[in-house]
Order: sequence, then structure tokens, then C-alpha cells
Amino acid sequence: MNALAERLATIVGARRVLTRVGELRSYESDGLPGYHHRPALAVFPGTRDETILVVRLLAETGTAFVARGAGTGLSGGALAEGVVLLGLHRLGRIISVDGDNARATVESGVVNSKLTRAASEYGLHYAPDPSSQTACTIGGNVAENAGGPHCLKYGVTLNHVLALTVLLPNGEVVTLGNASGEDSGYDLLGAFVGSEGCFGIVLDATVRLARDPQGVRTLLADFSSVDAAARAVSGIIAAGILPAALEMMDAASIQAVEASIYSAGYPTDAAAILLIDLDGAVAGLADDADRVEEHCRAAGARAVRSATDPEDRARLWQGRKKAFGAMGRISPHLVVQDAVVPRTRLPDVLAQITRIGTAHRVNVCNVFHAGDGNLHPNIGYNATDPDESSRVHAAMSEIMQACIDAGGTITGEHGVGLDKLPYMDSLFDAPTLDAMCALRDVFDPQRRANPGKVVPVHSCREWHGASSARATVAR
Amino acid sequence: MIDGATATIAERVREARNARTPLRIVGRGGWLDAGAPVSATNALDVGQLRGLVEYEPGDLVLTAQSGTSLDEIAAATNAHGQWVPLDPFGTNDGSLGATIATASFGPLATAYGTPRDHVLGARIVTGAGETINVGGRVVKNVAGFDLTRLSTGAWGTLGVFTQVTVRVRALPARDRSIAIELADTPGAVDAAWHWLRNTPHAPLAAELVDPARASALGLRARTVMLLRVGGNDAAVRAAVDDALQVGPAEELPAQIWTRLRAGEPRGVTVRASTLPSRIESLWARCRDAVSPWDGTLCASLPRGVVRCAMPPGNDAEVVRALRVMGGQAGDVSLVWERAPSEVWREGTGRADPVRTRLGESVRRAFDPDGVLNPGIIVQ
Repeated sequence: MNALAERLATIVGARRVLTRVGELRSYESDGLPGYHHRPALAVFPGTRDETILVVRLLAETGTAFVARGAGTGLSGGALAEGVVLLGLHRLGRIISVDGDNARATVESGVVNSKLTRAASEYGLHYAPDPSSQTACTIGGNVAENAGGPHCLKYGVTLNHVLALTVLLPNGEVVTLGNASGEDSGYDLLGAFVGSEGCFGIVLDATVRLARDPQGVRTLLADFSSVDAAARAVSGIIAAGILPAALEMMDAASIQAVEASIYSAGYPTDAAAILLIDLDGAVAGLADDADRVEEHCRAAGARAVRSATDPEDRARLWQGRKKAFGAMGRISPHLVVQDAVVPRTRLPDVLAQITRIGTAHRVNVCNVFHAGDGNLHPNIGYNATDPDESSRVHAAMSEIMQACIDAGGTITGEHGVGLDKLPYMDSLFDAPTLDAMCALRDVFDPQRRANPGKVVPVHSCREWHGASSARATVAR
Repeated sequence: MIDGATATIAERVREARNARTPLRIVGRGGWLDAGAPVSATNALDVGQLRGLVEYEPGDLVLTAQSGTSLDEIAAATNAHGQWVPLDPFGTNDGSLGATIATASFGPLATAYGTPRDHVLGARIVTGAGETINVGGRVVKNVAGFDLTRLSTGAWGTLGVFTQVTVRVRALPARDRSIAIELADTPGAVDAAWHWLRNTPHAPLAAELVDPARASALGLRARTVMLLRVGGNDAAVRAAVDDALQVGPAEELPAQIWTRLRAGEPRGVTVRASTLPSRIESLWARCRDAVSPWDGTLCASLPRGVVRCAMPPGNDAEVVRALRVMGGQAGDVSLVWERAPSEVWREGTGRADPVRTRLGESVRRAFDPDGVLNPGIIVQ
């Protein structure tokens, strides 16, 4: 380890190579508090060139590594047990913003909200807006194919990336996609987005920027049952209205938020609320808002109100965006899930979740992107209590299975990482998992980039045949 | 559990592997005359894999067998006030599978994206004869590596689609189309582009056609922007009013788009693309390149793509002229849709060796014995 650390220090400077246990503590976890995986060492290149030299050194020494942006991930993807952690948050340059063509090229360490701020002078913003956007990096967003509440209308990261400069694990640099025209050939860009750091590292990304809408209306509707809120969602979607965002929170989440500093004025006696954004040209916006309100009332909403000004709107949204933080305030630990079910199955899956929570005596808080059926059932608990922990994990497994059985998927935006690995066998058959391994082997034949994540190891044929250079750090 | 039709396809692929007799994948035959140099004499016919597999309108998701035509899908979804807004050039009796395999798109890509933005999942028989189920049937999904995106636009060289799952959208409440004549002066196309760039009304489609094409559509022989807007009453009225500042306008029937897409000449066809802000310059260069051979142009202004479609004949000269145009303009990408086989084999000529190697490795991984559409090089 010392030899490698010394060589890395000659590239990035001694200050940027961490080897002591105390220094590495903050890198033992990502956004999920329940995991503690200590890297062998952590290295933080400051420039594109340093990054390339670092990865080439790791290739030369056959060393496995895990890339990490801001560490806000919710699937354990950036955990680096006993291997090199490659931190990319120092690659923070906004290389260019093209207002005319509504695109920007940024290094992978640029923070999501910082890109939007830079775009704002052109009347543009970067649309994928995960709740962690004030901390998470574009590189991390690309790795996870991040979404966010406004992806209902605007799409996810995949729909916004035009080109990537990728550093392959063997040290080669390649451009995927095309920043200035149509791409042709295999959609390697599309395959790379969402590959969770297993195919290589993003040095920079060229992304589409979205026009700031001419007008925005934010509505808050409250309901005396979750079913009624789900009916309203179906009604709105079936009517052909596409809100920019359509979020639901249940009673437990509402109460958690209202008890915290993020209090948004949500009615604490509601069984569920819908937070709805409509945006676009001003002409026509009022009509759509009226119809959304009609659908909410027809489904039984007790009250529907519109945000009165930008501050009101920001406050309503803060409650939603900080919901996980509010829940984290109540319990020492939080298990977060990210399943997606067909929209029409929402009411019955939510009912099942309630039953499962009751059966295992755990408190499930549901926050979700109701417009696309993406649920975040979260359970706060004390992980040092073994009985409670086992009940929580049993509940989560059942919830996940219920979502899969309903025709859904195990992750809508957080990624598989380490945390959802156990469910991959339930979701995909063996030939499909094997095909995923085969694709990864194209980019990383030595399996050194984020090893052991996304696809269960036992699903990959010839794993043992490829093991010659998969060693964890041994020097 | 695999359906019978897929199992049959898988059996055919395995037989082809064993016998070393490669296959040409054929859906409804729409691409057979595109010039793609497939060096296989046996056809793998997926055209009879037709019909919906699953369609729940409330979920805005539809799964169909890959040989189902776009017309059939339109009929099924329109009945519920919905549509799958995939409108590749050509006719609507092309199959869903071919549309996805060739990543073909049309005017509605302006609002709804290209096939990669529509496909949620698929059932695929790989060149190794394995059946894989990629993606899923929900609208948001990041589970596992994205084999769905990898297969889209792969021209059948990695696997055969037997089922495809796509997003469905609600039909817009109002859907109006107008034709706006542009002045025949420098800066006119640029002005239209700037209007599109700045308008708060995001159109469904905005296509520029040259005078010959306009005339073929029954309009005056001018450079015309065909604009399609959708939304509620108030939104559509405001969008049309806003567009009038670009030039004199006339209302168009809804069928204009079908006629535009089906009315291309069937010779060499290429898509030239650049940064959208440079569209006027690319348009002018394309006009110069195609006019000696009576070619026609149709450009997506917001996307910066100019389709150059030529009458049959003079293929070699036409290709040379278009290549020269693409080379001169710098930052112009050419994607051939219909061209002599040599052009396909030579590829874009600009391939980066690392990217080429990745592509070749992908192909070997999914079709180790080269049984599917050999001869097509996807680069």
C-alpha cells in the first residue's frame, strides 16, 4: 500500500492521498448511513491530466478502484472496501456554456446546482434535479442515470447527455456520443449512462440545458386517504396533462417534515398530499392548472391551493426535497428504497406496504414521484437494535418483492450499487445478467472498476477466469 | 418463461450458429433496399411476430411483438386517446422492431425524442441464441446495465427483437399544423431558428422543407417551415399567433406529416447534422450539394439535422458530393440511411480506434459467430 500511495502522491501531491484510518472515515459511507466500508486509500486528482495518470498507474499495478463524486449516493455504489477510492469532486471546471445551442460541457466534479446557476444567465437550467442537487456531481448523476422530481416531464440524465469524455479503466480516453451533431454507431453513450462506475470514469460531460419555462404554477392538494391521492394522479395523467412534477407524500412523511426545520406548511392531519408543478408557456397554463385542480377535487381532495409567489413555491418544494433529511432527524438510521411500479398498481402496492409495515412493527414513510410510479418507502430505525434491524430488513425485502411482483423494478433512480444487489436475481433471469456482465467486460475486462457492484458476482460466467488482475490493493 | 414465437426464433439462431449459415433479419421489408451490405442469403423473418402483448393505458406503457406495424400500434393507442409518437420517415406499415433497431426518427423527435428515448425494454434473441429480457415495463428504471440502449440502433447485429416495450403518451387535446413561408434571403432560416430557440411554446415538430418538397406537398414552391403545435386550446392558439411573426402562414391538414414522411425520393439518403445554431449554413451547403441531382431537403430546425434525399441514380456522384460537403463544413456529421453498399462498408471514415474497438468487442460478445446481419458495420 505504501508503495502505491507514494507513487500516487507524486501525481496528485501528498496532501491528496489519504491513508490514515481517521482521514478515511468520512469515505466509509455514501448517502446510506448503514454501511461502513473502509477504503485502502483515497486519492483525489485535481485535474483531468492527473486523473488520467492516476488511472493509468492503477492499470499498470492491476489495482481495483471505486470512483466517488460527492458521496450522496443511496445504493452504496461509492463504497470501496479495501480498494482504492478515487475521488473526483476536485474536477470542478465548467468548461463551456453555449447559450444559443442550450448545452454545456462540464468536468465530472461539477455540482448539479452549480451547473444550473451557470446556465441561468442564458435563461436555461439543467433539468435532472435529484433532491441532493446542491451537493451531488454531474459525474455521479451520469453514473446513476439520476432523475429527480422534474424528470416526469423533462426526462432523466440519459435524455440530457450528448457526449462524454470517458477514461476507461485501462487508461485510454474515448469520446462517447457527439457534442455537435448526431451520434452514430452503437449507443455506447446510452450504455455508459447508468453504469454506476463499472465501465470507467467520466472526465467531462456535454449536456443539454432546458429553457426556463415562461410560467410555473405549483399546487398543493391534500387528501384524507392515500387511495384518493393515487386516484387524482391517475386522473391527471389520463387526462393528458403532463405536469413538470407530481409528488406524493404520506402522513408519516408530512409529519416528519413539519416537525423539522424544513417545515413547509403541509397539513399535518392529511393522509397524503400531492405537490404538483405545471410549467410552460403562460397561455394555457391556467387552464391546465384548473383541470388539475378539478381532478384533485373529483378524487376527493379536501383542499387545493396554489403557491402565491416564488418564496411560497420554494418553501413548498423545500419540504419535499428535504424529506429524507427530516426523517433522518427522527431516527438514528434510515433505510431508503427506490422501487418503481406501474402507475395503476400504486394504490394496491401502497396498501401492501402499509400491511407489511404493520406486520413487522416498523414505521414506513412514503415519499414518491407519483407521476411515474417511483416509490421511496423509507423506514427510520435504530440499527444498533438487532431485533428492530432484522424486522426492518425483513419488511424491506417484502416490500421490494411486492413491487417486483406488481411488474415493477427495484430502482428508478438510485442505482443498484451494493444495496440492491440481492434483488437482481429476482428481477432478471440468468442469461440477461450474464449479458450485463459481458457488456461490462467490454469496457473493463479486468473487472477493476467498482468491482462487485450492480450484477451479482455469481451471475458472471468466467469470473474466475478473469481474476488475474482483479486483486484488491496488495502493494 | 419465454413465449413460443421467441423460442422459435432462438432455435433458428442456434441452428444458424451450428450450421454456420448467417441470417439476414427481415421485419416488414422496409429496409431491404437501403443498400445495407448484409452478406447472408437466409432470411430470419420476424414480420409475422405481430400483435400487442400488454397495453394498460393508465400506465402509459405498451408491449408489442416486434413485427407489429406502427399503424397497428397507432390504432390500438388512439382508441384510448393515446399515441406512441414515433414517426420515422417512410410509411407507417414499417415494424416497431425495425424502427427501434435502426433508431429511425421523424419530425416528432423534436418534442418526444428518438427511439432511445421511447424504449423501456425488450425481449431479444442474441446472436449466441440466448434469450434476454432487457429493461422493464415501467417508465423509470435504472436496474442493471443498459442493454436496452445498447440494442437500440444496433441494426440487428447484437440480437433480434421479438418484443419491444415503449412509452405511450396522451394525445394532445389540440393538434394544429401550419406552414410558414420563409423569405428567400440570407438570414431567413437563421431567423426562423432564433424564433424557435426563443419561443415559450415548445412545438411538437418544426421541419424546414425546400421549394421542391413544398411544391410536392401542394404548397407554394418556397422554403417552408412546417410547424406542429399541441396542447390545450389556449396554448395552441397562442403558439400559432406567436409563429406568425416568422412569415405568412397557412393552416395545414393533419395528413401533411404522413405525406411529408412518405414522399421522399428513394435514392441515396443521408442525414447531415451540426450544432443547431449553424443550421442555416448547413442548409445552404446541402442545397448546393443536392440540387444538381434534384435531391430534396427536409431539416429538423431544433435538432440541427438536414435530411438529404435523392432520386435513384447517379449514386456514386451523389455520395461524393455529399461527402465533400460533409468534409468541408467541419463539425458536420453524416449518417447514411440509404446508400450503395460500399458506403456502408467504409463507414464514416472518422472512427476513433478506441471506439471502434469497443464496438467490435460488443459485437463479438453478443454475436460471437457473426450470424446476425453480417456485413453491416455499426459505427
